[in-house]
Amino acid sequence: MTNSKGYADRNQYGKDSCLHEAVFFSQNEEEEGLNVKQEAVAGTIGQPIAPAQPRIQISYMRFLYVNKNAKWAMLILLPILLLAFLAPALPLQAPLESNIRASLNAPSLEHPFGTDKLGRDVLSRTLSGIKVSLFVGFSVALIALAFGIVLGTVSGFFGKTTDRMIMGVVDIFLAFPSLLLAIGLVAILGAGTVPVICAIALSDVPRFIRLQRSLVLSLKSRTYIDAARTVQAPQIWLMAKHIVPNTIAPLLVAASIASANAILIEASLSFLGLGILPPEPSLGNIIKDGQMYLQQAWWISTLPGAVILLIAISLHFLSDGIREELDPRARK
Amino acid sequence: MLSYAIKRVMQLIVTMFGVVTLVFFAIRMIPGDPAAAMAGDNLSGAALEEFRQRLGLDAPLWQQYTDYIQSVARFDFGSTITTSLPIAGLMLKALPITLMVAGLTVLLSVLIAIPLGTLAAFLANKGKKKLDNAITWTAMVVDLMPAFWTALLLMLFLSLNLRLLPASGTVSLEDPMLMLKRIALPVLVLAISQVATLARITRTAVLEVLNEDYVRTARSLGMSEIAVVFRHALKNAMLPIITVVGLSFGNLLNGTVIVEFIFSIPGIGTLLVYGINSRDYPLVQNVILFYAFVFVAINFITDIIYKKVDPRVQF
Repeated sequence: MTNSKGYADRNQYGKDSCLHEAVFFSQNEEEEGLNVKQEAVAGTIGQPIAPAQPRIQISYMRFLYVNKNAKWAMLILLPILLLAFLAPALPLQAPLESNIRASLNAPSLEHPFGTDKLGRDVLSRTLSGIKVSLFVGFSVALIALAFGIVLGTVSGFFGKTTDRMIMGVVDIFLAFPSLLLAIGLVAILGAGTVPVICAIALSDVPRFIRLQRSLVLSLKSRTYIDAARTVQAPQIWLMAKHIVPNTIAPLLVAASIASANAILIEASLSFLGLGILPPEPSLGNIIKDGQMYLQQAWWISTLPGAVILLIAISLHFLSDGIREELDPRARK
Repeated sequence: MLSYAIKRVMQLIVTMFGVVTLVFFAIRMIPGDPAAAMAGDNLSGAALEEFRQRLGLDAPLWQQYTDYIQSVARFDFGSTITTSLPIAGLMLKALPITLMVAGLTVLLSVLIAIPLGTLAAFLANKGKKKLDNAITWTAMVVDLMPAFWTALLLMLFLSLNLRLLPASGTVSLEDPMLMLKRIALPVLVLAISQVATLARITRTAVLEVLNEDYVRTARSLGMSEIAVVFRHALKNAMLPIITVVGLSFGNLLNGTVIVEFIFSIPGIGTLLVYGINSRDYPLVQNVILFYAFVFVAINFITDIIYKKVDPRVQF
């Protein structure tokens, strides 16, 4: 299994982005190398020699306004987020409140997504499920980023035995299809939000380690790193100040896709009855509830599913936006 | 080629060894007493000790480990806790059904996706932006649809409303026509997302090749555009396409678990979900091990084909 394959078992984006970024970084190499050499003459270890910040700074507000993909992402994601967090203030039935007399009601003004068998409001349950989904997606991306950055940098930077050991373990984890690894881990850890997050993160961490390692390898031999070495910058300084900041951008692209995937996997686990268990609503278990009443009450399953799709689409837009912002060649 | 294959086989063995080790230790990581957890927390005292002995959980860890490696090498996966049936037998019975679903899906999706993706690239190259955009956009959205949601939508429209295909019923290998009808919906669900992924990759790969010199040469020799695209461009774009067909197997394996569960098809995935719900850890352990083996083997085959198609490739 080669480097570029790591991410592709769920999505070809990771692979694309990795390639894009690698090309992108090498384009700036000479220019950067020159600047650094000049600075290095005057530089001391106490001051950053190469630019310590990512060289291409994202102005976040400008990014969200100007980048077309990012704008689309926000247009879908913000209303969903707002609705989910303002749900308690909306004139809706509470997610767990049942009303047997209003069982399986079709969508109406009072219940925009209809009601389920127990007469619970599906919209209210969906909004509550969205919060769970986003929490899972966000946590998984954060955990994967944290472990990926540390272990990937160490593996790529030190090479040799360290690298071989870390990559050996990574390869073993990558031998499992992602959902199946998560299913196996949930079988051991049990159901619930935290075990689900751990299970999904554990299948994402190896992919991030691989990505980070490949990025570090492409940066390691840069002239500005050599320059910093010549003034005897300690290794930890090289990694923390000169290497990691320059890998953040492609990692963000991958993280945004990882969170979309995590949301899909959480929904799949909950749908199989292995993730977040009822009565706590999650998008997956609402859809599972509705499966039995598919013919009488199509709304219970189909509408929350459409919400998952919208969230996934918006996160992909976001990742495309970040990629475009960082690689001018990807702009149309 | 041969030395490469040998090197890859060695790698394969190391990875599989690692996978078996991981699966072995993962089961022993169950919080608390694994034996008690497997017994469903309803045994105690002497009964629990006897149960522990039956599972071999009383032996020292290293002995359990070597025993496990040996039994895996003999394809002897032990028996389930709840029904005491041999796991290998259960898996052998479920395997042809899963294989049929997965195999038909790959066949169907390759047959649809490659012409579709090539067509999109052809249209993009011709400057027909709108049609190309329509295909690309649809593919992106379809790619992101959760499999279980697609399954429920198709079930709703094709089997409940239009009554075209059955969504439930018995599955038996004796009656091939009935079997085909029964697995048609699951295959369709899986194929839809596979087609979306593959078509996108095919489009990108072909588009990239269309700018090459030899394509221009072929055109200048007066070849028809269709011959240029299908005979020259597509052939050279096969490399990334093969990789993605191989890699999307991971997705496909994930998907089989979900569609088998939804359409209650007695394949390996259903066995897995049953195992988890009945806390049958040996069953879960071995089914997951089996999936990992299949995935690793497919990656291996992809790499070999890749090397065969393009001898320049270095690993």
